Amino acid sequence: MACLPDDKILAYGEGSLGAIEAAQVRDHLLLCPACQRTAERYREMERALARPVLSEPPAAIVPRVMARLYPALPRVTSIAALIAASAVFLITWIYIYFDFSSSSLIQALRLTTDGTSGWLANIIKAITAVYNGAQAATKAGSAVLRMLLPTPLGAIAAVLALLAVSALLANFLLRPLFRKARTRKT
Amino acid sequence: MILDEDQVLIKKTLRGNRRAFEELVRKYEKKIFSFVVRMVRNEDTAVDLTQDFFFKIFTVLDKYNFEYKFSTWAYRICYNLVIDHLRKNQAQVDSLDDESVSSRDLLDSENVNREDGFRALAREETRDYVWRIVDQIPLKFRELILLRYIQDLKYEEIADITSLPVGTVKNRIFKAKEILKQEMEKDGMLA
Repeated sequence: MACLPDDKILAYGEGSLGAIEAAQVRDHLLLCPACQRTAERYREMERALARPVLSEPPAAIVPRVMARLYPALPRVTSIAALIAASAVFLITWIYIYFDFSSSSLIQALRLTTDGTSGWLANIIKAITAVYNGAQAATKAGSAVLRMLLPTPLGAIAAVLALLAVSALLANFLLRPLFRKARTRKT
Repeated sequence: MILDEDQVLIKKTLRGNRRAFEELVRKYEKKIFSFVVRMVRNEDTAVDLTQDFFFKIFTVLDKYNFEYKFSTWAYRICYNLVIDHLRKNQAQVDSLDDESVSSRDLLDSENVNREDGFRALAREETRDYVWRIVDQIPLKFRELILLRYIQDLKYEEIADITSLPVGTVKNRIFKAKEILKQEMEKDGMLA
């Protein structure tokens, strides 16, 4: 009795033979020790192949892929904080540079509430007191700026520098607050 | 249409969900890396190609057809990426078409670890041994074994990915197994 070719034994093992052929192979295997040995060898190899040894990828793959696909763009909150902080700095600087303090609304309110009493007058007085402190600070800042920035070009440079500093500060100080707020929300 | 788990992640990714794509990457990175590293036989290159693969997948994700399995589509892209890389490195591709080299010559020419005492090794070690031999067989056989057993694909799917006739796929896988069996017998790994 001639032994079966290896491809037939393999195909039988994979279950890819037709019913009649499979029955013939099965009958042959029952009677042929050599083919039984071959079939067992292929089965053992098949068992080994069916459980592949997978290589562990380096841990850095996922972060690298994600960083490449989703570069760290500034978030909306950061941009909003940056614009707000820049606006505050810019308005403060314009206020100082053009010395609007003498004609301010606060000054007018202070004059109207002088010598009066009542809760509204007290609130206005409190605001003007805070304002006076702020004004003293801005006047000091103004003096420094006037000394440092005698030309319009210098003023533009100062504005740009203030914007840059405010952007950095906003990103550094405000972003964690927004993140915390967002985490609480979710 | 009912979407499977992968397809749901793709939909979310296409809507801009970063975490969905990250989940997809984590799900496939091991299988893809294992396939690539066994194909190119160099870990650094495999890392680069694995990253390139996920980058490529992301850029063409909007072209994915939801009627087909994502894994088959992704493996095809992975396979083409690796083959392109190997073609650029002609020396490695030579083995792709080299039918004249016998398995013995090939294995002798490479650094297969032939330690004594294989007979005593347990089944786990047999598995490691088989896969070490797989790493050494010619690329034209190896790629099909990897697609069949690492990516767990059917013959028809492998034929689709590699653009080979199903008959050729079956023949080459059979030939690969024959080589493996011969090697195992020579080293006494099979009773």
